[in-house]
Amino acid sequence: MTFILSYFILATIFSIAALSTNLLVGVIGIFSVSQAAIFGVGAYTVALLTLGQTLPFALALVAATLLCALLNMALALPSLRVAGDYFVVTSFGCQLVMTAVFINWATLTGGASGLVGIPSPSLFGLSADDSPAFLAVAGSVLAVACAGFWLLMRSPFGMTIHAIRLDELAVAAAGRDVLRCKLSVSAISGAYAGAAGGLYASYLSFIDPTSFDLHVSILILTMLVVGGARTLAGSLIGPFLLLALPQALALIAIPSTIAGPVRQFIYGALLIAFMLFRPQGIAGRRL
Amino acid sequence: MLFLQLLIDGLVSGCAVGLVAISFSLIYATTRVFHVAHAGLYTLGGYIAWYASTQGLPFVLACVLGVLVTTAAGALIQRQLYETLERRAATPLVMLIASLGALAMLQNGIAILFTPNILQFPNPWRTQIVSLAGVSLSYAQILVAVAGVLVFCGLLCVSRYTQLGLRIRAVASNPFLAEITRMRPRAVYVHVMMIGSGIVALAGILVGLDQAMQPYTGILMLLTATIAVIAGGIGSLTGAFTVSIALSVLQNIALVVMPGRWSIAATFGLFILFILVKPEGLFRKR
Repeated sequence: MTFILSYFILATIFSIAALSTNLLVGVIGIFSVSQAAIFGVGAYTVALLTLGQTLPFALALVAATLLCALLNMALALPSLRVAGDYFVVTSFGCQLVMTAVFINWATLTGGASGLVGIPSPSLFGLSADDSPAFLAVAGSVLAVACAGFWLLMRSPFGMTIHAIRLDELAVAAAGRDVLRCKLSVSAISGAYAGAAGGLYASYLSFIDPTSFDLHVSILILTMLVVGGARTLAGSLIGPFLLLALPQALALIAIPSTIAGPVRQFIYGALLIAFMLFRPQGIAGRRL
Repeated sequence: MLFLQLLIDGLVSGCAVGLVAISFSLIYATTRVFHVAHAGLYTLGGYIAWYASTQGLPFVLACVLGVLVTTAAGALIQRQLYETLERRAATPLVMLIASLGALAMLQNGIAILFTPNILQFPNPWRTQIVSLAGVSLSYAQILVAVAGVLVFCGLLCVSRYTQLGLRIRAVASNPFLAEITRMRPRAVYVHVMMIGSGIVALAGILVGLDQAMQPYTGILMLLTATIAVIAGGIGSLTGAFTVSIALSVLQNIALVVMPGRWSIAATFGLFILFILVKPEGLFRKR
């Protein structure tokens, strides 16, 4: 039972992260492999703020969300000004640099061994230290995130960002500020990733740099590609399917040393297969 | 003396980064695909040569085998993946995601076959040292430097003076015009991919010989190389190679004041500054 609950909680958290990638990659068409880095910043922020009970969980989560929104925007700013493939380099760079920071800034992040004993969330004196309660917390954050995404897609701003993906020049010619739209989307996407990271830290109560490296970024991107871009359903189907994969692999006898590479090999194969045969994913639109 | 040693080490590793940079630059400027799987091909070359060496093959033959297999893999990626997607008018984003998928498959395929641990070439001569004027270089380092300069000059000559080089430049500057003048851009793309993959395999093998190999280090190498390509001006081989060397020298000399684990952050910071100040690159023509 706890096993199934933990699967649901992790899938819920990764759905929020997938929505974050969906906004960038699916909706506005900016490539990103640094979602895990932003996710990690959110996780470390919540961990550091709640360790030693300095701040209540809700406030720490808000702080992480804001910080990640600002960070994602600051990182996007220079490369968005020059457009094109520079963002790819920025994105890879951001991911590799943040991994280096998580590992090497040992006084703050605990280095390679990570941080332990992160308290579970409590709200108005009620503590969510058992799994069903935490699922309620994570579920409500996901509900807010989904509602936000749904409203955004139907707002005039949502129309503009769809248009930017289709024809940036036309949007600029129509007098819209393309750069400002891209920055706003980066900020919202960062906020989603930060919130997901905060939940992740406080659910597992242990975080280390390997939870936020390039492989995790590729995993989140694969979730989006498999589920399908630009739709709410896509961002929910992807995480639930892909997080079931490790459990399915556990049924086959694979030596534990290569279990990680086997999983990531399958993610890579899925990325290629979906790009070749079904670029719209299971329940999405064409990328 | 330490300073001089760091400078020379920087020049040598700069040659290796330079090889990755010119091969990436050639592919990117011609096919316009941001070929991140290049990092996987870099790793593949090194591991094939390592495997051949452990099976008792002489280093030169192992090297040739590594380059050939990687060249074939590059051609396969171009023909089966990029060309198929291009025929369906896929967006650059789709190409990029497919390339990322190929990278993940290459890296993790290697990790599954050869374990994710650090591996070293079995050849004992690779660590033998030549000392000259207080500076010491290993045989492997000398090989890296010589190969780097030779391949760079060779690629420049091919690009400037041969029929193939002319076709590559024609396709790179205007694929549509090249198509209607029967230059067959798709065949050129395959050739470019093969040349680029061969060069990057050589870099992977020689760096593996000089230091050690791990399945996931290719991406860090490619990041440094792409930063050099952008800073040097996209499409300029000389720019890519020169900036690679300058960047590596800078990284090595910075070791005096800063621990090596922060050098990736510093390099990336420099890149951000660079695209703010001079986004078109140092050596860009046009």
